[in-house]
Amino acid sequence: MARLDTTRTSAHQLRPFSSSQNLLNRADGSAQFDFGGSSVLCSVVGPAEVKLRDEKLNKATLEVIVRPLVGLPGVKDKACERAIRETLEPIVISALHPRTLVQIVVQTMKDNGSILSTALNAAIMALLDAGIPLNSIIGSVTCIIDSKTNEILLDPTTEEIARAKSTHVFVFDNKSSIPSSTSASMDVDISNDDDGSPRPLFSESTGLFTEEEYLECVNISFKACQAVHGFIRTAVSKKIEKEHQQTQA
Amino acid sequence: MASTSISVSAAESPAFSFSASTFQKLHPVEFFRKFISQGVRPDGRLLEGFRPTTVHKNVVSTANGSAMVRIGGTTVICGVKAEVAEPKMDSPNQGYLVPNVELSPMCSSSFRPGPPSEQAQAVSEAINRVLKESKVLDLTDLCIEEGKAVWALWADVSCVSYDGNIYDAALLSVMTALSDVRIRKPTYNEGIIKVSGAEILDDENSFTLNLARTPLSATFSLFDSSMALLADANAAEEAICQGEISVTLDEKGQICALSKVGAASSSQTLLRQCIATARTRTDELRSIIRSQ
Repeated sequence: MARLDTTRTSAHQLRPFSSSQNLLNRADGSAQFDFGGSSVLCSVVGPAEVKLRDEKLNKATLEVIVRPLVGLPGVKDKACERAIRETLEPIVISALHPRTLVQIVVQTMKDNGSILSTALNAAIMALLDAGIPLNSIIGSVTCIIDSKTNEILLDPTTEEIARAKSTHVFVFDNKSSIPSSTSASMDVDISNDDDGSPRPLFSESTGLFTEEEYLECVNISFKACQAVHGFIRTAVSKKIEKEHQQTQA
Repeated sequence: MASTSISVSAAESPAFSFSASTFQKLHPVEFFRKFISQGVRPDGRLLEGFRPTTVHKNVVSTANGSAMVRIGGTTVICGVKAEVAEPKMDSPNQGYLVPNVELSPMCSSSFRPGPPSEQAQAVSEAINRVLKESKVLDLTDLCIEEGKAVWALWADVSCVSYDGNIYDAALLSVMTALSDVRIRKPTYNEGIIKVSGAEILDDENSFTLNLARTPLSATFSLFDSSMALLADANAAEEAICQGEISVTLDEKGQICALSKVGAASSSQTLLRQCIATARTRTDELRSIIRSQ
């Protein structure tokens, strides 16, 4: 079945993604992440001084600011901020920097669908660039169920989202992609309900759908997220290689 | 989370002991874990138990539709007010339905005065998306005269007392208030809108909303590494839980929204369990609304 986005031939194909780190001079870390026609620039400052009323005695405060493409931030952007913050809070090892602030600013550069996923991927790349201690890496993808064909389409464009009967955003961490016997994870004991299925860290679905459709979306998105994880991994190792060469020279 | 390290020396000395309420204040997480390991919660509920819920319709006489919802210690009031407004250029025959949740310092000391907090805005947006994406109300029903005038429905939710699970309470109040809405029939004549001035409203001079479905939700919190699933957490439980799963269902059992946030990742077994429990819970809520 042909997609509305004619540049792609298959329903489970992601748009070409790319990223670049360390674009901003004055931030401690920054990254831009592109999913085809969607692009998000993200900066990280921290650990920095925290406002007294936000100070936490035993861990760092995470602050996320989402800036829209045009105009002032609205209710949607606030909801987006909350989603990003609550996803990153358990990923950042905040106990290492008590009474400090880690500020993440997310700026949409181009919007052609799947913007929350793009923002989450940009944020994790920026955190890596800033050298903030993390306990795992996350990757995010969006999928929709088309209202006409009932097909699950990955990484939809704005046009495709407009025709969707439901929209699903997923985040998976790279802990869940490792078999549980080898992952000696310290903070989350997953032995209790480990049924070997993909375990979304964050999931936000709206529209009308059934339980089966939802679980299928989880499985398909999980596979797609492996590609994002792989990409982030390559990006990080390339960056370290480059830095190593520079220090040698 | 701030609590596991302080009392090692205290625990060793047998002379040093304190009451349950002191223990709760010093070690909220440990206190709670002791209960969870026994399969109960400090307020006497079982893990999957929801708090007693009551719904009252038509509580604000000045609003077109209203509802008051109590879920345990959480009380919210929703008033829906209909106002005549100009439609948007790109949707000349569509009205507006705008939910707004307010968490003022009146309902809990944890909220500050000033512009709506991130939590309030996130809940408003979540409800807005459920109403919009699951097509609860056909907005063309709210058209008075195409391109000239439409009804704008402001669904304002005010929290009177906050004790956790604001999303379930707010959505329940919005849906009940919408089902209670009665608007005077308007007549449009050359830029002037007249509404019926009748004292008693009936189907002749007023209309009700035709709701395609009634999405209602059930929220679960994830506690600790043991991954205990707590239904309908109160404020104290929310503060020490690390994740939340919220399932919104319509009367046919279709999912209208599903969200999972926070630390522990959740397996499919867990998600299925949440959806199944949400089914029973929303059915129960529907019978509460009907019996009202």
